[in-house]
Amino acid sequence: MNNLAFPLNLILLVLWAVSVVMIWRNSRESRFVRFMLSPLATYLSIGLFLIIVLVVGMTGRRELAGSWPFAVFILFFQTVLAFVILRGWRRGNGIRWRFFLLHTGLMLTVGSMFWGAPDNLTLRTQAFKDVPVSEAYAPDGRTEWLDVPVTLADFTVSYGDDGQPSDYRAFIRVGDEDVVLRVNHPYQIRFGEDLYLSGYDTVSQEYCILQIVREPWRYVTLAGIIMILAGALLLFIGGPKS
Amino acid sequence: MTWDLFIWFGISAILLSAAGAIFALSGRRKYALSYSTGSILVLASFIVLLWIGLERPPLRTMGETRLWYSFFALVSGLFTYLRWRYKWILSFSTVLATVFIIINILKPEIHDQSLMPALQSPWFIPHVTVYMFSYSLLGCAFLIAVFGLFSKGKDMLDAADTLVYIGTAFLTFGMLSGAIWAKEAWGHYWSWDPKETWALVTWLCYVLYIHLRLIGKTSRKLLYLLLIFSFLCLQMCWWGVNYLPTAQDSIHVYNS
Repeated sequence: MNNLAFPLNLILLVLWAVSVVMIWRNSRESRFVRFMLSPLATYLSIGLFLIIVLVVGMTGRRELAGSWPFAVFILFFQTVLAFVILRGWRRGNGIRWRFFLLHTGLMLTVGSMFWGAPDNLTLRTQAFKDVPVSEAYAPDGRTEWLDVPVTLADFTVSYGDDGQPSDYRAFIRVGDEDVVLRVNHPYQIRFGEDLYLSGYDTVSQEYCILQIVREPWRYVTLAGIIMILAGALLLFIGGPKS
Repeated sequence: MTWDLFIWFGISAILLSAAGAIFALSGRRKYALSYSTGSILVLASFIVLLWIGLERPPLRTMGETRLWYSFFALVSGLFTYLRWRYKWILSFSTVLATVFIIINILKPEIHDQSLMPALQSPWFIPHVTVYMFSYSLLGCAFLIAVFGLFSKGKDMLDAADTLVYIGTAFLTFGMLSGAIWAKEAWGHYWSWDPKETWALVTWLCYVLYIHLRLIGKTSRKLLYLLLIFSFLCLQMCWWGVNYLPTAQDSIHVYNS
């Protein structure tokens, strides 16, 4: 789906969002909108999602999540969610915060992963000591040039009592900046692009494996996750009665 | 504190909890509360002492998560008893906790001090404890569903609803804190790893239950069955996934 990368995905997203709002404004009583707001559409959207994820869970076929039928389903899921939000986010003069946060958060999270997927890129490269690295490799073998060269200055490993590595870190020079990379501590190269230490040469420790992840929509995903978390807090406080 | 002493703490907790359950069944509420609280304190003491002894949170191995689950099963059982006064719930939660305590006594795993780099994160403790707490609440909802399925005429769904709402809230915290952590550790919020996939299956099951209850036209029997199915998916996510062939590719493998 790389041919749907920015700006095409953003244009399609805007077209979809405008269509949903226009249909909501002008054809609220149409059969289409009534279906999208029916219990059947809710059951279908959650139930089908559950069945698809169950199939992925049972078979391990992750590629299903990147297939066109799944993309069509996610579009249906988001459209149902959008109409449900438009109908239900207000009651009288007030905002239904729990409903709004949970549903909008879910739409942002799923939506950003769906629409943003064509812009994502994961690259890997080996870094040897004092040798500047300017290229990295995509999972399909494609070579990409890095904006700034990366050089491994030093690498250390500590071991626990059981002989397993308890800590390892790479001292890296990214352009003009010195950074320390270790697991759980990535370095932000620029907006939506991070550098990770993902492995090392466990035999002779001559090189470490660096991973560059480009996910420009990650901030939208994070905003959606935070909204769902806030909604879950209200779910805990309010329980079934509110 | 080492794992060798767990047998004494485990058996003490089982005996105290069983006494609490018997007092609850016989209607002696004060004794039920005292003994059940005692059993929780015994397990809590062991967890604290083990934590100090290991010099890391005991949350890494399956055995350690079973320890937390036993603890939270007792806590959730007591919470349900206090809230709805079901006399039988303490018996059920005692059985649930006993099963996991006995597994831990019979199958002690390696509980060493090392914590692999991927687990050295501020997300580690909240992620696992929140999950274990939600599992215990949803375990109580499962028990209520089984009870409701076989007791004709009694509507147990109101009690199950509260447990499912709170359990799902914590399940959501667990899943999403995991997603944020995964982004820090591996670069992606979501990668369709077997563990993640089954976590989503479980979450969707409970979300479906909540929506079916909100819309309110589904038969009680179907809802009980959905709660039972959801709990089976939860077990799959927790430990069953390790036995799937797809687990070989999982990045969620932390046992030594």
